[in-house]
Amino acid sequence: MGFWLELAASGLITGGIYAVVAIGLNLQYGLMRIMNISHGEFLMLGAYLTWLAHTTLKINPIVLLPGVAVTLFLVGMVVYRLCFRRISRSAPTVEVIEARSLLVGFGLMFFVQNAVYLAWGADLRGYSFMAEPVDIAGARFMANRLLVFGVAVAASLGLLAVLRWTMIGKAVRAMMQSPTGAQLVGIDTSTLHPVVFGAGLALAGVAGGLLSMVYEISPSMGEPYTVTALIVITLGGLGSAIGSLLGGFLLGLVEAFGMHFTNPSLKMVLSYGVLVAVLIARPKGLFAR
Amino acid sequence: MSRSTLTRMRGVPRALTLTVVAGALLAVLPWLLSDFMLSLALSCLMFAALAVSWSMFCGPTHYLSLATSAFFGLGAYVTAWGLESMPYGLTVLAGGLVGAAFAALIGVAVLHLRGAYFAVITFGLTELVLHSITYVEKTMFETAGRIISDAPENAVIYWTVLGITVLAVATAILVRASRLGFALAGIGGDEERAQTLGVNARRAKVLAFSLSAFFPGALGAAMAVRWTYIEPMSVFNPFIGFQTVLIAMVGGAQTLLGPIVSSVFFSLLTEFLRLRFPYAFLLVLGILLVVLVLYLPGGLASLFVRRARPHA
Amino acid sequence: MKRSKSFMGIAVALTAAALLAPVAPAAAQNVRIGYAIARTGPWAPGAQVTQEPNYIMWAEQVNAAGGLNVGGKKRKIELIGYDDRSNMETVVRSYEKLMSSDKVDLILPPWGTGANFAIMSLAKKYHYPMLSCTATGRKLVDAKNPYFFALLQQPDVMMDALAEYMVARKVKTAAVIHVDELFGLEQFTSLKSSMAKKGIKILEAKSYPLGIKDLSPVLKDMQAKKPDAFIGLTYPPGTFLSTGQAKAIGFNAKIFYLAVGTAFPIYRDKMGAATVEGVMGLGTWNPKTGAAAKAYFDAHVKRWKKEPDRWASAFCYAGLEILQDAVEKVGLDRKKIRDYIANTTHQTIIGPMRFKGSENVSTPGVVSQWQSGEFEVVWPPQRATSAALFPKPDWK
Repeated sequence: MGFWLELAASGLITGGIYAVVAIGLNLQYGLMRIMNISHGEFLMLGAYLTWLAHTTLKINPIVLLPGVAVTLFLVGMVVYRLCFRRISRSAPTVEVIEARSLLVGFGLMFFVQNAVYLAWGADLRGYSFMAEPVDIAGARFMANRLLVFGVAVAASLGLLAVLRWTMIGKAVRAMMQSPTGAQLVGIDTSTLHPVVFGAGLALAGVAGGLLSMVYEISPSMGEPYTVTALIVITLGGLGSAIGSLLGGFLLGLVEAFGMHFTNPSLKMVLSYGVLVAVLIARPKGLFAR
Repeated sequence: MSRSTLTRMRGVPRALTLTVVAGALLAVLPWLLSDFMLSLALSCLMFAALAVSWSMFCGPTHYLSLATSAFFGLGAYVTAWGLESMPYGLTVLAGGLVGAAFAALIGVAVLHLRGAYFAVITFGLTELVLHSITYVEKTMFETAGRIISDAPENAVIYWTVLGITVLAVATAILVRASRLGFALAGIGGDEERAQTLGVNARRAKVLAFSLSAFFPGALGAAMAVRWTYIEPMSVFNPFIGFQTVLIAMVGGAQTLLGPIVSSVFFSLLTEFLRLRFPYAFLLVLGILLVVLVLYLPGGLASLFVRRARPHA
Repeated sequence: MKRSKSFMGIAVALTAAALLAPVAPAAAQNVRIGYAIARTGPWAPGAQVTQEPNYIMWAEQVNAAGGLNVGGKKRKIELIGYDDRSNMETVVRSYEKLMSSDKVDLILPPWGTGANFAIMSLAKKYHYPMLSCTATGRKLVDAKNPYFFALLQQPDVMMDALAEYMVARKVKTAAVIHVDELFGLEQFTSLKSSMAKKGIKILEAKSYPLGIKDLSPVLKDMQAKKPDAFIGLTYPPGTFLSTGQAKAIGFNAKIFYLAVGTAFPIYRDKMGAATVEGVMGLGTWNPKTGAAAKAYFDAHVKRWKKEPDRWASAFCYAGLEILQDAVEKVGLDRKKIRDYIANTTHQTIIGPMRFKGSENVSTPGVVSQWQSGEFEVVWPPQRATSAALFPKPDWK
């Protein structure tokens, strides 16, 4: 019995990592239909900032996370102002916003990746943090993975709470349901959009900072995470905060049990198989409204 | 849809003639260019064919398919598996047919998805094929990649790719003027309405999706011989699909000429930047791309095509 | 309308013209050496840890000493390096440019087995010798390309060395994971035959795909089987991941061996020197293996503010030494350079090196082990810089 619990726990922890990667993108897409394909690059930027500050200033990386979040929030406001505001305003339909933001996302992806390469080189980087085993009910886990898991759950639930119970959350949800309707009832989209976009990047930055505690980092690390994020949020249903948390868990569990019952070589086949099967059965994800 | 059937049909013979003439003119390049310039021309042609075939289906219907890499990679694997027992030309044809067949198969299953969901599922399917092939190769043949020993001459590859490109452009011209083309445009405008007007939407979509997948399949089969060593990671590289989408959209996926001009423009520009700014070319390319999308929302096509529609 | 049309035409023509113009030789007397390598994309970390820094440093060193001695005349080296974007077609096109348009004097190889494969036939067509330092695999050597030389030890050589070490320590059983990639499969095939020859039993073998984020279920299964040795034929992500997760679950075999990335200084820095104490892996050299190796190490640290990796980096530098020696002996005639490389025993920072066909047959298989922050060579005994820690101490 203990063995199965351990297997499930390890799947959930990996799933939590997937979820934390996806939250920010989900927010941006859900609200504004901005398909920010450079999501992974900003995550990478967060990872580099955390690594840089930790290795040069010797500050505890957990303490750094709020700073990373604020920095990326500001970066996000600027990026929104320079790149996405024009698209949101001028595009005639939602489809066009999706398509154009995708293209701009490619441009940002090239830009950020190359800038980080110029600043710090393409080497692998990393540092050791909370790399200690922790005993929980007889099972052993790495402390830094547990931390990521905890933050993923907290951030998802927090986001859910903000959306449900605060004024800004209500405004955001109104926007998600009907952008024009929201404007009619007096919601100020010109402030809300940059703030939500910035929040999306801030969450990406925090995810990056957390990942830098667990995995090694490099300027090319972003793209696979963008892919993970896209899969998790479509699996859960675009725009659904709880959906992406559960989508992440589902993927993590499929992988853990799949690896045990078949073999790890089939891991990718299994995860993409689940994605394809879920979407064919439920074309708008598991938790679409 | 401002122009009538008749005016569309009227332009067809002229457009086809132009395509064939351009193809014939381009066919002399192997005698004029160095290996490098020829491979640059090859790259322009490859992306032109990819972008034109992508736009054939995705342009009018507004679907965003990321499955190009899957068709391309399958084609490449047809060559990797078949080149020992088949002539090169036949593997190219077979690659195209495998691409088309695969597209028909997945088309039936996933074309009811829209928007980002369709993009993600086509990406997922590409990865699924990539990892399935890796797994089969590993368990059944105990190998991770295949070596192509008898590669044809560069000029032969070039002519083959040129042939595929001419065929892709000609097909696109014909599709645009055909009933299928109208059906697709109708589906892009309002699928339900098109159906009430008697369009069998599902059949039209599967047919066009499958037709458009023939070309990336054939291109994969044709290009694979250039790399000697074929492994899933490099021939199913998702960037082949991303780049196709990018080129087609920046060019203007609703137009015919847009994707062609855009592929030449991007291939040359990227290569130019890469060679002149060997450390920072992606920086420049990234900025250019953003500026282009923001200030030329109609795509490159809006520079030279009258009445280019506003959809990017 | 007309105006923008002609504008487009001009833009395209300008781009084409700029491209057509070959790179003008800065000074006719320079020796122009070209290469394409990944600066961006997924191959970049490997290429920028192991390969390109050595190219640049070598060219600077040679130029600081006056240049390459070509037929008694000192000529400066001019490096022409392009970014291949981690893309196979770009690799091929770049080398076509270097060989057919720029007509550089010499080329240096790209990073990785696949990319080296991709330009092998070009090298033969245009007669450019390739001294490849990040390509391994029997398939490469079996291609019998006269212009291709593989510097790294082949998988069977490395796995035989590991098996010999295991026999010397009376190790009877092993559990193996390997990455689903040419490298992992070839290493695993070699490992199976090496283990069979020495009578070591493989209790369990599992493979995994690149991009895996959790190996703990596999490691737990293996832990339950209590193997004497754990062997991971991994790439860097798997190397880092299995180290961290084995530590987390307390899976500590007497021999804990991982493949690519173990020799990277970042492996020690990321996991912590105490954690990696006793971990074994693919390596060949360190600053203690010889005076020349020490000088190389110091120069690398001084130039790049980072340590070179303890496996392929030095092979890259050795390849450059061989090339330099060949040019200074026979000039810039590339066919003569090829013959010289093929038929001479070279003195390099990793010791003498001789080729049989494409294969380096002088450098023996080596097992290295992290000990107090250095990747010590522990096997074979005549090359060892330190005695092996056996069994591996507990995870710290």
